[in-house]
Amino acid sequence: MKKTVTIVGLSHHTAPVELREQVAFDHSALRESLKRLISLPSVEEGVLLSTCNRVEVLTVSPTEKSVLQDIKGFLAAQESVEDPERMESQLYTYSNEDAVRHLFRVAASLDSMVVGEPQILGQLKAYYVAAQEVGTVGNILHRLFHRSFSVAKRVRSETGIAIRPVSVSSVAVDLAKRIFDKLDGKTVMVIGAGRIGELVVRHLIQNGIRSVMITNRTFERAVQLAGEFHASPIRFEDYQRYLKLAEVVIGSTDSPQFLLGADMVAEVLKERKQKAMFFIDLGVPRNFDPAINEIDNAYLYHIDDLDEVSKMNLKGRNTETVKADEIIAEEVTSFFLWLDSLDHVPTIVALKQRFEDIRQQELIKSLNTTLKDLSDRERQALEDMTSAMMNKILHSPLVRIRTRPEEEAIYLDTLRKLFDVDDKDEDEEN
Amino acid sequence: MAIHLLQLTVLIYLVATGSFFLYLFVGKDSYSRISPFILLIGLIIHSTALAVIFFHAGFPALTQFREALSFKAWVMVGTYILVQFKYRLTVLGCFIAPLAFLMCLSALTLGAGDAEIPPALKTYWLPLHVTLAFLGNAVFALAFGVSVVYLFQEYELKNKKRTILHKRFSSLETLDRLNYIFLIWGFPLMTFGIITGSLWAGVYWGDYWSWEPRQISSAITWFLYGALLHGRITGGWRGKKAALWTIVGFAVVLSYFLLGDFVFTGRHAGRFE
Repeated sequence: MKKTVTIVGLSHHTAPVELREQVAFDHSALRESLKRLISLPSVEEGVLLSTCNRVEVLTVSPTEKSVLQDIKGFLAAQESVEDPERMESQLYTYSNEDAVRHLFRVAASLDSMVVGEPQILGQLKAYYVAAQEVGTVGNILHRLFHRSFSVAKRVRSETGIAIRPVSVSSVAVDLAKRIFDKLDGKTVMVIGAGRIGELVVRHLIQNGIRSVMITNRTFERAVQLAGEFHASPIRFEDYQRYLKLAEVVIGSTDSPQFLLGADMVAEVLKERKQKAMFFIDLGVPRNFDPAINEIDNAYLYHIDDLDEVSKMNLKGRNTETVKADEIIAEEVTSFFLWLDSLDHVPTIVALKQRFEDIRQQELIKSLNTTLKDLSDRERQALEDMTSAMMNKILHSPLVRIRTRPEEEAIYLDTLRKLFDVDDKDEDEEN
Repeated sequence: MAIHLLQLTVLIYLVATGSFFLYLFVGKDSYSRISPFILLIGLIIHSTALAVIFFHAGFPALTQFREALSFKAWVMVGTYILVQFKYRLTVLGCFIAPLAFLMCLSALTLGAGDAEIPPALKTYWLPLHVTLAFLGNAVFALAFGVSVVYLFQEYELKNKKRTILHKRFSSLETLDRLNYIFLIWGFPLMTFGIITGSLWAGVYWGDYWSWEPRQISSAITWFLYGALLHGRITGGWRGKKAALWTIVGFAVVLSYFLLGDFVFTGRHAGRFE
């Protein structure tokens, strides 16, 4: 019987950051969590993934029945979860094809906050290795993760998805140059420490911006980033006071509320004597109130707008996600061909058993009647010979099945019918 | 001789207009260099024509509408060429060249020949007053140009649209700064234009201010630009607001210059009682 691949989790698409933080797996306790996961009766293999944008539990189980309940219970049992019912209502679950597709999309950065941003792949690898070390990865997850890494590679090399963050930030720089004469002497403020925000800042610095302020909810992260850019770190409580110094403001957080409203921006512009400000909103959901764009001398672009412009720059780019999803659909199919091919194990075992049964029957029949005078040595020779014969007969069909996974289903079906192999539920070994 | 030079000027201004439009819509870099150059050639011929007229009459010919038009175009093109030297704002030529062409063409069609200069105008108050006023107007014409470009650029940025033109537009900051620079040049020129006119009237006719339509329209424009300048200096009047204000101010100037003298009467319309 076929195994079930399941993913249960929540991400920036479905759940607010506070909830994701509650469910998140603490890095230091990851081993314990993995052990707890694998001890669930319905779970045979498991990997945990816990980043700031998503928390996911990937499992392989022999049955589809109780696994969802088990994993939801497992997540709800996280100490920091305050309201398990609310959390459960925000979980998504994927099984089989959907689960595999989801993992591939995550790996290829199609499900990321910034589509095409490759950070997630490294995180995925790290969590896979951690699970492997604890011993919760079996051959299905092993195969699944390695496939997902190569899917990510294919999507990067065969589609334009990966260029997207780069082109988005060069569009931002072009726009800044249409608003401001020269970028030298201008100041940029970065709110949040998202990767795409970093990328945009790098582009701005390359184009002459020298003065950078960085703020982040975790001040240490702001300090760390500030070091990289020779920037000034600013405490999150204080950034609004410094806003009036900035010509370019980049929002790169996943805050569920707007960081900046239109009224506040109007106020800041007044203090700046209406000197223009350029707001770049890289957040999902939006960090800046769209009404800001209605204010004179304030220009607001959301990452989707930047993306639109970069699509205009490179015609036909809008089909890139479609292309990526096609690659993924292809890879999902091929993964399940492999998974199904594991089914040949019981068939082959049964087939071998059937041949062996025939051999034994015939041997006993002959040895008890026509060949009953044979010596022990001769009996042994006969035994060896028939056994070798059976193996030789079965050898080439079995090799053929293993090397032609795409036709395997047909072969297996034919074999069962020709040799009258009973399709009983048998225990698999994997 | 002068008339042929003026005809040649009109022709060259037309060629320059075509070249600027090619630059605007086709966007080849070579057009951005050649267009101001063609305009400069036009300016040189135009200057020669004005000089010939001056030496022929022995006095600057500014008393008739067509003469004023031609002189105004000359001042405007000259100012633009200077600005182009310093700021490389080729896109402004797309306003100035056609405007200069139309003004000189109208001047030509309004007839030629030497008119008798009324004795009241045979004074150097005339060229002083007219040159200052026209320089002010020319600078405001440039301010108008940058303001229109500003509004285009602003509209595209706000609405996240791009047309084929946007690459020829300077940044909003540059356009806004030029608006300011033109304003601080144009406003004193205009002020001195009004003062010299008023003094002249005081000296010759004994009334410094006679409430004739041209004076009223000048006063309106002066207050408009004055308010804008004040707003800009004390802060806050930037960008779109300043651009719109500039455009309104120039519309008053232009509409009066084109229509005022036909509709209204007064010394500016050539009636000296």
